[in-house]
Amino acid sequence: MTDININALMAGCCGHAELRLQKSAARRVGVVGGNLVSNVSATSAGASARVYKDGVWGFSSVGARDEAAVKRILAAASENAALLHSRKPKNKGPLTLAKPAFYTETRPPAVVEQKKLVDFARAVDSHIQKTYPALQSRSVGITVNCIEKELYTTEGTVSYQLFPRVYVIVSMSAETADGETVEVFDVLGGGYGYFDDHYDDPAALYPAVDAIYNELMQKKEGVFPVAGEQLCIIDSAISGMIAHEAVGHTVEADLVLAGSVAAGAIGAEVASPLVNLTDFAHTAFGERAPLPVYVDDEGTECKDAVLIKDGVLTGYMNNLESAAHFGMPACGNARAFGFSDEPLIRMRNTAVHPGKDKLEDMIASVDNGYYLTKTQNGQADTTGEFMFGVTMGYEIKNGKLGKALRDTTISGVAFQMLKTVDMLSDTVRWDFAGTCGKKQPMHVSMGGPAIRCRVNVGGR
Amino acid sequence: MEELKQKAAFALETLKALGADDAQVSVVRGDVEEYTVDAGEFSLIRSVFSQSISMKVIKDHKKGAAAVNQLEDDAIREAAAECMAAAQSGAEDDAVAIADKEENADFEDGALTPDKARFFDSLIQFTEDLKKEFPEIMLEQMVASYSGGRHVFANSNGVLFTEHDGSYSVSVMYSAHRDGVSTSFNYFDLETTDPGARLMDLGMCRTCFARAVEELDAAPFDGKFLGTAVFAPGCMDDVISVITGAFSGDYALIEGTSPWKNKLGETVASPCFTLSVIPDDPRIVCGEKITVDGYRSKNYDVIRDGVLQAFCLSDYGARKTGLTRAPSTSGAVEVKAGETPLNELLAGIENGILVCRFSGGEPAANGDFSGVAKNSFLIKNGRLAGALTETMISGNFAEMLKNVRGISKETLCDGGCVLPYVAFDGVTVSGRTDGIEATEDE
Repeated sequence: MTDININALMAGCCGHAELRLQKSAARRVGVVGGNLVSNVSATSAGASARVYKDGVWGFSSVGARDEAAVKRILAAASENAALLHSRKPKNKGPLTLAKPAFYTETRPPAVVEQKKLVDFARAVDSHIQKTYPALQSRSVGITVNCIEKELYTTEGTVSYQLFPRVYVIVSMSAETADGETVEVFDVLGGGYGYFDDHYDDPAALYPAVDAIYNELMQKKEGVFPVAGEQLCIIDSAISGMIAHEAVGHTVEADLVLAGSVAAGAIGAEVASPLVNLTDFAHTAFGERAPLPVYVDDEGTECKDAVLIKDGVLTGYMNNLESAAHFGMPACGNARAFGFSDEPLIRMRNTAVHPGKDKLEDMIASVDNGYYLTKTQNGQADTTGEFMFGVTMGYEIKNGKLGKALRDTTISGVAFQMLKTVDMLSDTVRWDFAGTCGKKQPMHVSMGGPAIRCRVNVGGR
Repeated sequence: MEELKQKAAFALETLKALGADDAQVSVVRGDVEEYTVDAGEFSLIRSVFSQSISMKVIKDHKKGAAAVNQLEDDAIREAAAECMAAAQSGAEDDAVAIADKEENADFEDGALTPDKARFFDSLIQFTEDLKKEFPEIMLEQMVASYSGGRHVFANSNGVLFTEHDGSYSVSVMYSAHRDGVSTSFNYFDLETTDPGARLMDLGMCRTCFARAVEELDAAPFDGKFLGTAVFAPGCMDDVISVITGAFSGDYALIEGTSPWKNKLGETVASPCFTLSVIPDDPRIVCGEKITVDGYRSKNYDVIRDGVLQAFCLSDYGARKTGLTRAPSTSGAVEVKAGETPLNELLAGIENGILVCRFSGGEPAANGDFSGVAKNSFLIKNGRLAGALTETMISGNFAEMLKNVRGISKETLCDGGCVLPYVAFDGVTVSGRTDGIEATEDE
């Protein structure tokens, strides 16, 4: 924690103000076709201040964390708030935290040696090259992040949090008989914490590497799905994307205020009664959430935001301003990525709750449809329309898995699609390697069970 | 600029003293003044004072890279040590290199001194113009900023470039709303050096907003057909990123996954299609002066009259494949406009779709794609026949490029690119029809 007298420096702020001191470290190693194409270590550190004035904000940041820097940005942020208030006043009155939050991380930040990452990636690559020499292409990537944040507010919030995340991605491609390229990739291990918390012997990943290869060989012989609305089992690996993209974005309060489909829908039945959806703060289903957040960047103590309960829309994700606007509790969704970024309403660990069905029973229940298992990316619309790229899946014929699928897309309207959900598996799986884009990037996790629903599938 | 040059020289000396065979550094110092509108109202003014240094080093044919946003000597020394450690842990690769020395140069471009007050006035004017001309449009978010700064690029071969530039940019995300009905959001960007520009007159603002209002009557489309997709200029990026990435970028050629890997000098598109990279063009605001590898950036044709002229390779990609390095790493592109006005282009289409935003998964390496046609309109018997919801398009980008039906005379020129409407035949358009039954239509 800093030894600058923050209280004294912030005493001049007339209303709510935040001061954040942050350091972000990233290491990336990429091996493509045996070539080390990425071998980067990057660090950024600095301070930012945000000052509220009757409905508008001023913000400033600088790449330093000493007392002079703090004074400079507090002054600049205050000037910006005053300028905006003078030109485009909102006159909304003061804004304040209900109560200050306190949190201190006990574990120190740790940095892994670059050599260790390079050696690990090359070992995995070497295994792939030796075991599967006929591949068209292969890549191994390692990403290590550690974000360190100190936050102070005029109401007295003091927090020091760490956000360490690590993961390994392996990708392989092969050429089909008709000369086209198919690709399969997966995240192997990793999650919250440091490299050594998750990875030791590269050989521990080889079974997962082999599984990617097996899927690739199936996909090589794959078929394109029939375009149109289909009955699908969306595996737990994808349902988190539904939680995040199909619903999550539409219930971010800033997008609600901009006219999203969720505006005015609190209390409405938006999904099957089987569907429950929560944006978890730091603990989910009795365990630490994949990317825990204890205090947000406005100084609010983080709590779970319950979004859908038994199919009914129950809440939005808020910052302090929108919580006051909607008369809802602020649950700590205001998050900033870099030190020079202002807090925005962002998701944390967003998940569909599990049901009671067994995955094998769900597959057996489908006469003609698809089992979709992997996704690459997704986008949502404020209308609730969503789209995901599907990179792995299978036909289901008469309750049994059939041929693998080539790349396709699924799309739908969130609150229509969720009403078709009639089965949920009893197991939740998380994806913690996601980076959501909304002006700034943000590390998020998403999860859920396998769900049975009707969804629009793109064909060829 | 002199201070940044000294920082660059100090970093190069430090890296060489640590044993680097070759080294390059890039030092940046700049300010951003940003104005944000949320849900139609100004909400934030943000001032960012930034600086950073990034380094690349080669030792025994091994590459390392590091970056830090502190410019004090100790911070530079620490970053240099990390950079060397990364190189020493790396793998030998004969293709890693730094730029050869050409003629050094100093560049100045754009609005070097910000006129914040005038720019703020322009933004307020824009929001007022919007309310008056398009009252049904909600400015979901607008982020407008002045960005200006100084940049020094230097390497141990004696390359030394300096840049001083500044410009104003505006990113607009919007949708239309009426009586509880909302459209899909859409977005566009503008870039200018004029702080007093009437923003509503730039790019295709009015066309975009007018189309959004028409989308209030959007309806699902039932059925499926193979027809013509007219890509609006604002979503031609989706086609171009495939051309410059999956078809002609570094990894696609190094790995051999590009369907164009052996097609240099051959026809890959219809004769009317020409794609150029134009960093040095008066229509581009503060275009790239130096490539990411440290060479002077120059205009070049990727495809001319349908024939593949060049791959979009970095210096590393070129050395690795034995092909030629692209003369620019800029994303400023031009697709040569046609002679046909848009309404005449549409008039010749019996069954088609005007695609104004594409929301799809990453296309496959061979160019196969599928995704949702957002903010889009059905074309029937030569006329726009209503806005669409829940409509998907699919096809193959490589095949589409060979089936260009026509290119419009009208272009979008937003300061970052020059793009017309392009009509591609052979695209599958599918609506909300049950897919199992729809197979009968194929």
